[in-house]
Amino acid sequence: MRCEECSDKLDRYVDRELNDTEALQVQLHLEGCPDCMDHYEFEAHLKRLVKHSCDCDTAPKAFREKLRQILS
Amino acid sequence: MAEPAAQTAFAEEALTHLDTLYRGALRLTHDPDQAQDLVQEAYLRALRYQHSYQAGTNMRAWLFAIMRNLFWDRFKGSRKEDVSLDDLGEFVLFEKLRDEGARPEADVLDKIAASEVVSAVDKLPPLHREVVLLVDVEGFSYKDAADTLGVPIGTVMSRLHRARQQLQKSLYDYAVESGIVRPGGMKQVPQT
Repeated sequence: MRCEECSDKLDRYVDRELNDTEALQVQLHLEGCPDCMDHYEFEAHLKRLVKHSCDCDTAPKAFREKLRQILS
Repeated sequence: MAEPAAQTAFAEEALTHLDTLYRGALRLTHDPDQAQDLVQEAYLRALRYQHSYQAGTNMRAWLFAIMRNLFWDRFKGSRKEDVSLDDLGEFVLFEKLRDEGARPEADVLDKIAASEVVSAVDKLPPLHREVVLLVDVEGFSYKDAADTLGVPIGTVMSRLHRARQQLQKSLYDYAVESGIVRPGGMKQVPQT
C-alpha cells in the first residue's frame, strides 16, 4: 500500500469502518511507515479530543426527573 | 396506546439515551432551554409513536432521528439548505503543522482547550455539525448515522470529511491566534 492510499483510508480506519482486509492492509502499512503512523495517531487523538470536549454536557437532573414524570 | 407496564418499560429504556439527545439538542440549538423543549417534545412524540419502534433495533438512533427532525421542523422550517464547505479546499491540520515544523504535531492538540473545540463544532453548518455529533461524539457507525439522518452512507462520509476539514481549519486558526502555533517558522511547540 502506498502512503497516498493509506491517507485516503485513514478516516475510515480511525472510525473503524474498513472491512477486515482493508483494515489489516492499513495496519501493516502503518507498522512500517512512521510518517503515516504519526498521521494516524494525530487523527485518532483529534477524534478523542472532539468527543471528550463535547460529551461532558449531560442533561440536568431536574430535567431528567421532569421527563420521567411526564412519561410515566 | 401501549399497556402501562409496557409504556413504563419503553420510557425507562428511552431515558437511558437522554444524555445523547440532550447533548445533540444543545449543540444544534446552542440554547439549554430550547434544547430541553426540543428533547421533551421528542420524547413525547416517541411515546406516541412507540408502536413504530421495532424492539431490538437501535433505539438511540431512532430517538435521535425524532429529535433532529423536530429541530429541522421547528427551527429551520424543514429547509435543509446548508452552507457549502467546498470553498475550503483540502485542509489537513496534521500536514499543515508538519509543514510549519510543529513536532510532535499532537502536542498542539494538547494545548487547545475543550471550550475551543466545542466552539469550532458549533461553528459548523447544522447539516455537517450533526454528522460530527453522531459519528465523533456519540460513536455512531456510518450506517447508523445514515439511517438516523435519512441520507446515503456516501453523504455521511462526504459531510464528515468536509466537516472535519472545517473543524481542523478552525482549530488551526485558534492555535495561530492564541500563539500556540507560529506560522512559517515554528520549530517546536512552545512549552507552557
